[in-house]
Amino acid sequence: MKKEETVKLISAEGMEFVIDKEAAMLSQTIRNMLTSPGGFAETEHGEVTFPEISALILEKICQYFYWNLQYSRGKETEFHIEPELTLELMMAANYLHT
Amino acid sequence: MKGKSIAESEYIEKSERKDEIENVNRKRRFSREEKGKGKLVVETDLESEDESLVDVSFSDVELPAEEVKSPDEKLSKRSNRRTSGGRMERFRDAARRNASRFAYFNTREEEEENNNNLSVEAEREIPSVEEHIEEKVVEDWPGPFSTAMKIIRDRTANLNVRQGSSSSDQVPSVQIKWVPQKGKGKDGSKRLPPSLLDLSLRVLVDNADAIASLDHVPDAMRHKLCQMLCDSRQMNSNLLDLLLSGSPTEIRLRECSWLTEDQFSECFVKCDTSNLTVLQLDYCGQCLADYNIPSTLARSLNSLPALTTLSLTGAYRLSDAGLSVLVSSAPALRSVNLSQCSFLTHGAIEILASSLASVLLELFINDCQSIDAMLMLPSLKKLERLKVLSVAGLESVTDKFIKEIITARGDGMKELILSGCGKLTDSSLKIIAETCSSLRSLDIGNVPKLTDNSLGYLASGCRSLELLKLCRNTFSDDAIGAFLEISGEVLKELALNNVGKVGHNTALSLARRSRNLVSLDLSWCRNLTDEAMGLIVDSCLSLRVLKLFGCTQITDVFLYGHSNAKVEIIGLKLSPLLEHI
Repeated sequence: MKKEETVKLISAEGMEFVIDKEAAMLSQTIRNMLTSPGGFAETEHGEVTFPEISALILEKICQYFYWNLQYSRGKETEFHIEPELTLELMMAANYLHT
Repeated sequence: MKGKSIAESEYIEKSERKDEIENVNRKRRFSREEKGKGKLVVETDLESEDESLVDVSFSDVELPAEEVKSPDEKLSKRSNRRTSGGRMERFRDAARRNASRFAYFNTREEEEENNNNLSVEAEREIPSVEEHIEEKVVEDWPGPFSTAMKIIRDRTANLNVRQGSSSSDQVPSVQIKWVPQKGKGKDGSKRLPPSLLDLSLRVLVDNADAIASLDHVPDAMRHKLCQMLCDSRQMNSNLLDLLLSGSPTEIRLRECSWLTEDQFSECFVKCDTSNLTVLQLDYCGQCLADYNIPSTLARSLNSLPALTTLSLTGAYRLSDAGLSVLVSSAPALRSVNLSQCSFLTHGAIEILASSLASVLLELFINDCQSIDAMLMLPSLKKLERLKVLSVAGLESVTDKFIKEIITARGDGMKELILSGCGKLTDSSLKIIAETCSSLRSLDIGNVPKLTDNSLGYLASGCRSLELLKLCRNTFSDDAIGAFLEISGEVLKELALNNVGKVGHNTALSLARRSRNLVSLDLSWCRNLTDEAMGLIVDSCLSLRVLKLFGCTQITDVFLYGHSNAKVEIIGLKLSPLLEHI
């Protein structure tokens, strides 16, 4: 993965997830953060921190991004969510507009 | 006597005038009395019997709006209407000649006929004579609506001339040029992946029993969750406890029929309602009654200080007294929905007016059968800031009621819901159009007596109309087309559900004018072809939702040929039905 096409998502604990830009842009919130004019730190370094989202949830979200891309390309599978995660995941998804 | 003859002469005048407009209706009018009686063509037999019964007694002329009557009853009513034999003779002859054409019995047409004549009767009740004359001269207005109508008619007439006398009975439809484009647009078989939010909500609903707490979940999420739980009948009192814990700000339960009285009392007795701004308990008839309000919701005189929105639909055991207790605890109410509370009387409106006259903005009293519109009028007029009024389904709503309330409060009115108020006629729409200049939303579905004149009034009066709902109305294709030519630019939502005459003129006007239209309901409009539909969808670029229930004439030519990628088409075979409820 070339550096220009990736972004880094940082969880509350500091764990870093590096994913494709295309995948991350599925979140309207992330898209806004990365493309808004105004010289935000996020735009420059391609890094976004989420102090309220835990690593476990953030990992699941990244998995969702890739699953979504796969689905749009035709491979329609099921995305399994562990019940314990759902409440937090739902709130994170709401925040991220995804 | 005098009154009756005026009615009769107007009956003739009106019918003659209407002749100019629609040839087809002329013959029908003469045989109106026949049509309602039975489904067979054997009318002439009934008639000859009747002649012997000619009873020239003019009992009251009031003609109730009934559709189905026993033959005997109808015979006697008909005999009462016999006045000068000569005129009736002419009608009968014309009817005999045309009876065979009307062997097909159509309830809606009959309703139309009944109502066309009934509106004459209704007009008689309004004292001023000028109104009668005004009713008929909309066509002669030098206004944009009549100009638009003329253009549309000329267009159709030119088509007549060009096509020659190909089919004398049918009105030839205007040409619609639209070619389906292959490859572009939404591929019906490909579906968008569901959002993470939807996926998590679904899992949450499936595992609802395992939810331990709803703290920190924002209101919007709570509402979505409740909605899905109520829809799947999984909502229970444990979950309600979770919702009510802490100091909730908004509670929206769109369906409380599962909640028993005891459960309701248990849950709400310990609920801290001091921060509650929205309380929605729809279909709460089983659990809410006068006697458990003081112990639960209205525990003290100021127990609901922040409540601005209250919805207690279907509370069939709530009486005026119970409402009074509730309202005295909630002095800040701005929106009140008491639909289907069948026990409430006009006293309830008095209660609202006495404490909330200066704050109440929205009032919904759909289907409150015991509320008499005229009796509640004085109290209703006291609501100084009323912006939204819904009286759907109230039989006692008449032209007189509309006239009074609109004259008093029409200036500030933003939304009016009058669906199912079957007694209303064009004169009500005239007053609404003249007074309610800031009207944004209007629902006049299931008001069969309205004629094209109403659309004329709306077009010239309500310039900010963003939402218009029609359902089973009898407006003509020409009139709707003309209306859209003038008012189409501002419209965001339009429903033409079961407006059978919608056709190509409507389609053309929609395509030309409705730039901002987001939602369109053309269910049961069977005169629209694939081409017309394609033209509409490809031209209305803001369109996101198109409802086509019952449009069996639409084929894949349209579904796969249109090029609007953002529109969602609901109601045809491709979409799973229940997703959209």
